[in-house]
Amino acid sequence: MPSVCFYFQVHQPFRVKPYTFFDIGVNHSYFDDEKNKIIFKKVAEKCYLPTNKKMLELIKRHKKKFRISYSLSGTFIEQCELYGPEVLDSFKKLAETGCVEFLSETYYHSLSFIFSKKEFERQVKMHDDKIKEYFNQEPKIFRNTELIYNNDLAAWAEKAKYKGILCEGVDRLLGYRNSNFLYKPVGTKKIKALLKNYRMSDDIAFRFSDRGWTEFPLTADKFSNWVHQIAGNGEVLNLFMDYETFGEHQWASTGIFEFLDHLPKEILKHKDFNFKTPSELVSENVTRGEYYAPEFVSWADVERDLSAWRSNSMQEESLNRIYALESKVMQTKDKDIIHTWGKLQTSDHFYYMCTKFWNDGDVHKYFSPYDSPYDAYIFFLNALSDFEQELEKFLKKKPAKKKEVKLKIIKEGSETKEAADNVKKIVSGKVAKKQKV
Amino acid sequence: MLGWEFPPAINGGLGVACHDLCKAMTAHAKVIMIIPQNTVGFKMDNCDLVGLNQVNSLTLPPVNQAYSSDFFDDVNLIPANLNPYYFEEVKKSNPERKSHLRNISTEGSTQNISFQIDELYGKDLISKVIEFGNIAAQYALTKDFDIIHAHDWMTMVAGMKIKALTGKPLVVHIHSLEIDRGGENSRGPVFELEKRGMEAADVIMPVSDFTGNIIQKYYGIPAEKIVTIHNGIRPVKAYRSEKPFKEKLVVFVGRLTRQKGPSRLVDIASKVIKHTPDVRFAIAGTGEKSQTMLQKSSTYRIGNRFHLTGFQKHENVQYLLSMADAYCMPSVSEPFGLSAMEAVQFGVPCIISKQSGVAEVLHGAMKFDFWDVDRAADYLINALYDDVLKKKIVKDAYRDLENISWELSAQKVINAYADFNLY
Repeated sequence: MPSVCFYFQVHQPFRVKPYTFFDIGVNHSYFDDEKNKIIFKKVAEKCYLPTNKKMLELIKRHKKKFRISYSLSGTFIEQCELYGPEVLDSFKKLAETGCVEFLSETYYHSLSFIFSKKEFERQVKMHDDKIKEYFNQEPKIFRNTELIYNNDLAAWAEKAKYKGILCEGVDRLLGYRNSNFLYKPVGTKKIKALLKNYRMSDDIAFRFSDRGWTEFPLTADKFSNWVHQIAGNGEVLNLFMDYETFGEHQWASTGIFEFLDHLPKEILKHKDFNFKTPSELVSENVTRGEYYAPEFVSWADVERDLSAWRSNSMQEESLNRIYALESKVMQTKDKDIIHTWGKLQTSDHFYYMCTKFWNDGDVHKYFSPYDSPYDAYIFFLNALSDFEQELEKFLKKKPAKKKEVKLKIIKEGSETKEAADNVKKIVSGKVAKKQKV
Repeated sequence: MLGWEFPPAINGGLGVACHDLCKAMTAHAKVIMIIPQNTVGFKMDNCDLVGLNQVNSLTLPPVNQAYSSDFFDDVNLIPANLNPYYFEEVKKSNPERKSHLRNISTEGSTQNISFQIDELYGKDLISKVIEFGNIAAQYALTKDFDIIHAHDWMTMVAGMKIKALTGKPLVVHIHSLEIDRGGENSRGPVFELEKRGMEAADVIMPVSDFTGNIIQKYYGIPAEKIVTIHNGIRPVKAYRSEKPFKEKLVVFVGRLTRQKGPSRLVDIASKVIKHTPDVRFAIAGTGEKSQTMLQKSSTYRIGNRFHLTGFQKHENVQYLLSMADAYCMPSVSEPFGLSAMEAVQFGVPCIISKQSGVAEVLHGAMKFDFWDVDRAADYLINALYDDVLKKKIVKDAYRDLENISWELSAQKVINAYADFNLY
């Protein structure tokens, strides 16, 4: 019985503001709050809210036979808290249906697996805690940033007790095989890999409104026919895409919502087909082969590798600089500093710096808030320069002594619990203020 | 006088130099300054500032074509986007060559057709230059004057034409040459025009000996016709500002074009930063080399110390200089280099290339050959960390400032007029 598995990536970065040289040492807020808010609100209105509403409606209409999964980045959830709690509520409602699974990933949608395993694990833990907090689910399936994947990651995920892992179905790794089966990552025993069927995923995500495409217009009926054709040569169909496909990349006027509205019905017309979440897939299906990925692959650009983030010197310089700060940042034990460092790690910053102007250049440009990759680099490095400096200052200013003093005060004043609490408040308030300055 | 850039329409040093020299000249002579555009209300004492955009060409007498300059007459013009002084907002070129004469008469008034251009460079620059020449010549015929003084190639068509029509002596003032901008193998219409203009001129006034030598070497002009008039500098209220960071600051101001050697500046910066990491470089300006510079600085892994600030308005440049610990100008070919003089005014020690005009008047500076990256880096480190040396350079440079002013430059121009018996 072939299953269709929908997975949507939902992510928003904290974009860096046009941070100039003259801001260094003067201005310590790096993120473009105004722009981030505007973009979030726009996408919420065009995509998140209407699509969530549609998904909920579909789940109810098909009596829980329609199932989907999401990966919400931590930065996205944070922006929900800041700019649109109603978006978060609508995701909670979806979670309550029991037909929606939330996957694990890095909190900051970062490239940390490549640069620091320690930081990577910290971010994954942070993310899973957040999902548990909001949706009361413990993620069982791992999905790394932009489907970045290799054998080592699969091995790590297995060790971390995940049951499944998502990745791109890369032609060069599959050879004659196709992505419509579960695979066993080389070097693992139990974990199962779900491979994205990129042709059919991209038919929806990229080609849906392309008038130059020979299959235009794409109807739910037509697409379902293609889906049904995998019967006999596949057990799963993994349709992975950006959630913003609905209403944002493909505007409502293209008919994408009507397509979505009819799709489950059309697919379920064939009695053998059903919808499953990734967890259901891995528990009900067996692997049919090994997936060998010695090098990193991803779902980005035609190369399906890391070149979207790591193909020029500006990207390398930025990435090396940000990860070089790890030990110092952690040394501060300061929540704000560690969080800012995390937000600066979001992969989008490096994506904007990409200078592959051919083929996928337009895609990079579409997503970039800046005029050019050079601007993206300049602003990021300026901000990073200030962050480095603030970090140094903080470490110099905050010797171990201060802490002792703080403890002493509390001890001296701790005759009654109330007094101790008061002192604590005053001291921590003062300390917090100082740190901000 | 014939000028092109003029305040408030300024792209680089040319506009500033023209204005300040013109102003200083008015103490000695009555000046009529003809420029392409003038905004209403911009005036100068003892000077008729004539923007051709404000002159109704219908009121001017026709020019006897027999005396017209033949320079472009048999040339078929290809519309091109010339942008000799790099600035970013160049619009896409228009494939048709159009007249820049436009009817701006309002209802009820007499017909008024005048010279109207949207931007000084860019689209159809050559045709702008020719048309400017025609109308400036027509206008000049209505005036009484003794000497034609033309600034740079944009006004040379006008200068030659007026000379042909009136027989008055022509002085061409050279602020920048195609050889500086494009390298020593530059040829083409601009080079040709510069050569013809200087050949037709009675006296040539380059802003430095360095430029004078180029005029002899590449344009074949005899030394007898050349008088160097070094630029002056406008007095400024200098101040110092606290840096918002602890590192030393090296500043560069200028267009990021081949002529200024910006790519080599990255090499120098890399050397300095590798040796002493506590140095930042701030590069104010924009140009076609900015991407190369970013790629280079990131490859050298000095991205967090090498900052491109983009084009900055003058007050920001001054703010930068007020924080600077050193100024570095590695120009490959720099007729003068006013920005270095400004740095001196702000008490900043200058490390400049020998291939610059300012090197001739600035003794309180460390000078290197533009290709000598090691030497430049060495000088910079010394200027940054050796206080005795730094103080000495700055003190000497202040003394140089006393010998540099637009009044002195103007006086030299007047003296040269007399020496060559131009009036």
